[in-house]
This record gives sequence, structure tokens and C-alpha cells, in this order.
Amino acid sequence: MAIIDDVRSIIAKSLNIPMERLTPESRLDELGAESLDVIEIVFGLEEKFDITIPLKADEATRLASAGKADGDGQNVPFSTVGDVADIVQKLVAAKASQ
Amino acid sequence: MNRVVVTGIGLVSPIGSTCEKFWSALVEGRSGIGPITIIPTDRLNIRIAAQVLDFEPTQHFDAKRENMLDRFSQFAVVAARAAVRDAQLEFTEELALQAATIVGNGAGGMNTLDDSYYRLYAQNATRAHPLSIPRLMANAACSLVSMDLGLKGPTFTIASACASGSHAIGQAFQMIRLGQTPVALAGGTEACITVGTIKGWEALRVLSADTCRPFSRTRSGLVLGEGAAMFVLEERERAVARNAPIYAELLGFGMSADAADITAIDPDGAARAMRAALIDARINADDVDYVNAHGTGTALNDKGETVALHKAFGASAGRLAVSSSKAVLGHSLGAAGALEFAATALALHHQTIPPTANYEEADPDCDLDYVPNTARNAPIEKAMSSSFAFGGLNAVLVLGRA
Repeated sequence: MAIIDDVRSIIAKSLNIPMERLTPESRLDELGAESLDVIEIVFGLEEKFDITIPLKADEATRLASAGKADGDGQNVPFSTVGDVADIVQKLVAAKASQ
Repeated sequence: MNRVVVTGIGLVSPIGSTCEKFWSALVEGRSGIGPITIIPTDRLNIRIAAQVLDFEPTQHFDAKRENMLDRFSQFAVVAARAAVRDAQLEFTEELALQAATIVGNGAGGMNTLDDSYYRLYAQNATRAHPLSIPRLMANAACSLVSMDLGLKGPTFTIASACASGSHAIGQAFQMIRLGQTPVALAGGTEACITVGTIKGWEALRVLSADTCRPFSRTRSGLVLGEGAAMFVLEERERAVARNAPIYAELLGFGMSADAADITAIDPDGAARAMRAALIDARINADDVDYVNAHGTGTALNDKGETVALHKAFGASAGRLAVSSSKAVLGHSLGAAGALEFAATALALHHQTIPPTANYEEADPDCDLDYVPNTARNAPIEKAMSSSFAFGGLNAVLVLGRA
């Protein structure tokens, strides 16, 4: 399975939505991800790929609230499903080249 | 309603376990945060905490008794004994039958749990220690305080995560106020610097890797701590009649729930608890001189708490002195509210505002007077101590000068 499909599967499971709804362009905040959902998704990916994804709790919160009226989407490490897959791809490649 | 005063303070803390040591470190901003040495750190990513390093159980308990007490209970019992000594209080048989014991802790005997599971799962031990359950149960500390001092009145544990200590003190305050008991031992304790607990906190991604800098733009998260603070709370006329030392008077207690996020602070919920405490104390926002803030040093808490202070105090927020003791004490979870209640009572007693240590740079989102790095001598008539817990449970206490 391609990395993007694993990423879609883990996000879909965490947010309890059908995987088919997730495209690389889907934004996590628009999918209804809350701060702890983001942290859980990152945990799922770290476990799946044996990688470490740098993310702080406040970044997860900004990311989850980016689309809301009082949200602050500045300085977030990723916004879309595709962004997440890119980060995982890079970290997996970095691990393989070690 | 009865008036309620604080007549004894007992402490076990990362900055010393006497009132003198505790207060001088707070005032000088000497932090108890340092490299973790009490547990193995090879599996930890975060290797700092505010540990109680000068605590030797055998100085306080004989071998048989020590075996029954998890570290969180040891802290509570030692702090409770110190509070009673400090209050110069003798428990007659009659008083012991009435005295309440209310202890707040967020977890329970986490060292016992960690050790027990390590033996079972990692070392394939076939049996657990027979005292595992009585050591780790959430009410162990409270029960052991009551047993140690022979107190036989209303006795129970309050668990509301990081607000546990404040809820426990507030509950005892209300019971004395209503005449349900003349005296209470109340406070909080926590000792959960264990590999399992820290791994759990690491996963939440809120721990700082270097230090705790509340309200500073450069803050990078919270640092776990441990310890206990127990107080003798007493009906005022009784305390005055026996010429007891009085640190401060308890004036009000406010509680609320956010009913929102499981971890993030909700400024509305926090502000409602502050307002409730002011109303309970029958004072106005501009009567408060000092707020000992929850101030965890996470990006979200300190911003949200600042918003809450503006909401609760309105135009008076600008004249408040606000400081967080967590740069010095770390975040001792269920004990935090109690240790910070001690800081607030001592601030009133000494008429000195302890600073927010480790403060580096102003943050536009945190625009109040945080008393950065240097203590301030200032007249303090009324002060507030705030705790906001995971799960959205808020507890705020208001104190007055004795």
C-alpha cells in the first residue's frame, strides 16, 4: 500500500469517517479534527512507520482551529492529508538512508 | 457562617520542605527543576522534572510502616504532621472525632503501579506484592494521614487532576464555614515521576525539554513536579481563642466545569470559577491585589488564562499582580493547587509577591503584570489562587490577610 493510503486509513479511522472521503487536498480542520485527534493521528503514523514526527500540542491546536472564526492557522507543520503524507514520506526515506 | 483561617502549613516540595526554605526559593526564583535522577531515564525523551530530592522515607517511617506507603502517601503524611506541628495543635479525643481529612491527588500510587507492572510484564513475575492495592489506591494518602494522626471525622479523597488540591482545600473550607467540623487537615499530594507517567505526558506533546517559562513568549511547555502541601484549616474564633498562628483567612471558593475540551483551557469556564470565588468571598474584582496563577508554561494555558483574567476582572485586570510558581515548583498535578495555596498564603503573610521566574520576553497574548523574575514588596489585602484541570474542572480560592 502506498504511504498516502496508509495515511488516509489512519486519519479516517481516527476521525471515524470513510476513507473514500479523504483526498490529498482534504484539510484536517475541515474534516473536523480536534487538537487531540491530530495528536492521535500523529501517534498512529509514528507507530505504523516507526518514525518520530515533530509536533507540539499548540501546533495541533492551531491546525485544528485554523478554519474557525477565532482560529489561528499560522506556523502549522501541515494542513492537508497530502501534507501529512509528504512528511511521512520524507521521514521514512530519511530512516531508510541511515 | 463561620470564618475560616489557615493556622498550619506543612510542605514536601522540590524547593525544600520547611516554610522557610520553600518561601526563600520562591521569592528568589530559585527553581527546583533539574535533570531527572530518581528514575532511569534511558527510555525518556524528556529528562527534566522538579523532584523532591531531600526526602528520606526512613527518617519519617519505621520499616514496617514505610512498606505500606507509596511515595505520594509518604509526602502527604509528612506534610500533614508538619502542618499540625506548625499550627501548635493538640488533638483531644473529642477534636479528633470531629476533624476532617481531605486530600486531593490527581492519580494515586503511581510508583507502586509502575513497579508492580514492570515486575509482572517485563520481568515475568508470577505474583504481585500483597500491599500493591492498599499502596496504590487513590485514597491511600488520605487514609494514611487519618491513620497517622488519629483523625476520625469526615475523610475522603478528591480527584480532579490539576485542581485536586484546590478542590480539597475548598471543600474543607466550606465544611468549617458551615459548622460541620471545627478543624480540617486539607491539601494535595502527588508523586508520579515514573517512566510510565512521563511517557504518557510526552505523548501529549506539552512537556518542555528545557525549563518552564510561564507567560513568557519563549515558553515551551510544562515541566512535571511532585510534592505535597497540607494545611490546618480552622474555625477563626477557635484559632484566636487558642492564640494560634494565623497565616491568612480563607474568604471564598469558586468552581466550574468547562464542558468543552478534555485538555485545552476554556477561558469562559476559568473566568466563571474566578467570578464565583469573588462572589463567594463577597468582594469586588478591584479588591484583589495578587493572583497566583495556574500558569503552566504551555502556549495555550497561559494565553487562555490571560483571557480568563481579563474576562473575570474586567478593567481591574490591569492593576493585578499575577505570578506563576510553576517555573520554580514545576507542575505537581494534584498537589499543585495546594503548593500554590501555600505560596499565596505566605505571600499574604510576608506581604511580598513571589515572582514569575524564568520570564524572558513579553508575549502580546499575555499582557498582564506577571511580576517577572523579581519579588515585589507590596501591600496585599486579598489574593487569589487558581487551578484549571484537564477535563475542564476549575477551582479558585480567595484568601485575605490575617
